[in-house]
Amino acid sequence: MAVVILAALHSDPHSTQLAYIGPGAGFAFFGSFLTLVAGLFMSALSILLWPFRMARRALRSRKSFRKARVKKIIFLGLDGLDPRLTERMMAEGKLPNLARLAAEGTYKRLRTTFPALSPVAWSTFATGVSPARHNIFDFLDRSLKSYQPRLSSARVGQPERVLRLGRFRIPLSGPRIEFRRKSQPFWTILGKLGIGSTILRVPITFPPEKFDGKMLSAMATPDLKGTQGSFSQFTTSIEKATYENGSRYPLRRAADGFAGEIEGPLDTCVDGAPILRVPFRVVRRASSFELRIEGRRCPLDRGEYTGWQRVTFRTAIGAKVSGMVRFLLTETEPEFSIYMSPINIDPERPALPLSHPPYYAAYLANLLGSFATVGMAEDTWALNEGVIDEDAFLEQAYSIFEEREAMFLDALESTRRGVAACVFDTSDRIQHMFYRNMCRETEAQDPHARVIEEMYQRMDALLAKTLPFVDSGTALFVVSDHGFCAFRRGVNINSWLRDNGYLYLQNGELESGSFFEGVDWSRTRAYALGLSGFYLNIKDREACGVVSSGREADELKREIIGKLAKLEDQDGAAPIRTVYETASLYRGPYLEAAPDFIVGYNEGYRCSWEGAVGKVAADVLSDNPKAWSGDHCVDPVLVPGVLFSNRKIDANDPGIEDLAPTALNLFGVQPPAWMEGKALL
Amino acid sequence: MTNIKLKKDLLSKVKKVAAAGGYSSPEEFIEHVLEREIAKLEDAQSDEEIARKLKGLGYID
Repeated sequence: MAVVILAALHSDPHSTQLAYIGPGAGFAFFGSFLTLVAGLFMSALSILLWPFRMARRALRSRKSFRKARVKKIIFLGLDGLDPRLTERMMAEGKLPNLARLAAEGTYKRLRTTFPALSPVAWSTFATGVSPARHNIFDFLDRSLKSYQPRLSSARVGQPERVLRLGRFRIPLSGPRIEFRRKSQPFWTILGKLGIGSTILRVPITFPPEKFDGKMLSAMATPDLKGTQGSFSQFTTSIEKATYENGSRYPLRRAADGFAGEIEGPLDTCVDGAPILRVPFRVVRRASSFELRIEGRRCPLDRGEYTGWQRVTFRTAIGAKVSGMVRFLLTETEPEFSIYMSPINIDPERPALPLSHPPYYAAYLANLLGSFATVGMAEDTWALNEGVIDEDAFLEQAYSIFEEREAMFLDALESTRRGVAACVFDTSDRIQHMFYRNMCRETEAQDPHARVIEEMYQRMDALLAKTLPFVDSGTALFVVSDHGFCAFRRGVNINSWLRDNGYLYLQNGELESGSFFEGVDWSRTRAYALGLSGFYLNIKDREACGVVSSGREADELKREIIGKLAKLEDQDGAAPIRTVYETASLYRGPYLEAAPDFIVGYNEGYRCSWEGAVGKVAADVLSDNPKAWSGDHCVDPVLVPGVLFSNRKIDANDPGIEDLAPTALNLFGVQPPAWMEGKALL
Repeated sequence: MTNIKLKKDLLSKVKKVAAAGGYSSPEEFIEHVLEREIAKLEDAQSDEEIARKLKGLGYID
């Protein structure tokens, strides 16, 4: 009898995981206590075992690096850095460090994934395989039972065992945290061979996987409420809380200032799961204000963010759950308003695992100060909704950038051999939010017209800080996962499917609610969800499928592709460049989970905001009025990424899938057969 | 980590099928097969819960 070891999904014995009790809303039962105890225990053990570990590592390391052609690989990931803008600015002399790297080493456009989305592309970067082999096709996937959208890469569920004592519920096991990205990242393969890596904020690394190295999780890490980042606004301008377009709470006027309450996660330790709250006050000083929260005092000056403030929520059974927030006083007269960031999971007392090893996040916080932990930390929605202005958004984005830069430089300092990789999101978020400002005609009048250019220069300066760590034994790669273009008009594929008789609503309605509310599945043959594609409603696959797989589905696919490609905007422009049948793009075991079609939008278009969440709107085409005005959810051939290296790369058409096998090859490791990328060096 | 015993013949087939299918290991193949079957039996989460968890994702409204 042979033994197959089934890795129970992410059942790493992180103490905080064991203690997690939230319904995805995220809070920990004794989480901080267990982290502290585990940290002390691990520290003591680490000191005792240090001589033995060093001796073993020295022996193993000598063997591991025997065939290596490099001592060290550095991956500097700049999410969304666009080749057209990069090339233009290099030609204008605005990016001297990138230009020098290109001249002395390599610069090439880097083919991205289908679709050109960060979770998809960075998963391919890590694993060297196409989406059909790593199972991430979009930010969202759908439940085949309910047609509801879900986050594609991670699922956090209730603990399996709960002890009921009267009205109290005591969790006896950890939460179920399921990582949906499949295959194996190159750092896991290297780790098995004794080559360590430090992986910082590479998207789709939540929950952190156990491997021989260090990792800090990124995209898909929730906030303490279990969402992908919910900001709060406290204001005297409303009397009741409202949850439309962000969470807004009343701020009560008091004799010495104002009073409010922070809404935290749900208390699932007690029947009814009430919301946990922390009160705070704002006290008027002579010429400014002071925030008072949990016995602490903090200056609150208009237009200046506070530092990270710890907020501790106490459950009905006495457990504490800790989060981190920053406040910004946005107006004082006639109304008084405060913005509060999403409640980030506290890296020193994490309610959910943030890193591997579990204490690595706490180590970074202790060394460098607290930091944003939520997956998409830059608060794009607060700017979209006008709760913060452009300058406040930029200050926040660069503050997060500086936190990450400090971590990256620490990793570079401590990595003599192995891999140091870090992805910076600043480049992506700033292009999303300021693309419409990048207009030469209005440059003189718009104070934010050069924000994107300044951001590129900041990334160039980051490279300058990286270069001192690059010696002759180092391979450096500067990589982006996709480029960027304008997002002026949205296309609602669901509305188009309705207009063309592929999607029906109940009672003859023409518009639906979000998440397909009101869709008549018994007559619907196709539906769209997520940013990249759409699905057929297949019998025996979807719960209410009506299209037979095989010939009927194939004919329907051809028919839809033919019609949709002819879609015209009111000015005659073609919103769609190509409609791809996904099965023709790649092959792999997870292809069945992919959208049946990937829509290659033309520049200027993207799937509409409403269509992405399964809403059937009146119009197929609509203007995009939001500050979020740049995007990359277009035909992937329009938005390649960039690849710079200090090494000469001759490949004509490098793709992001080639970097994982390249890393293995440079360390003398034969890339495994399942990897689809080819080593570039 | 949990150990599951398989007959040698079956394991041999699993290894071949996993490699041919593009899986990175036999374990990944077995996980996928089991997850697919288990998913058919599981309940869907409530709509409200799903919507709430997606809140704040910049790309969707």
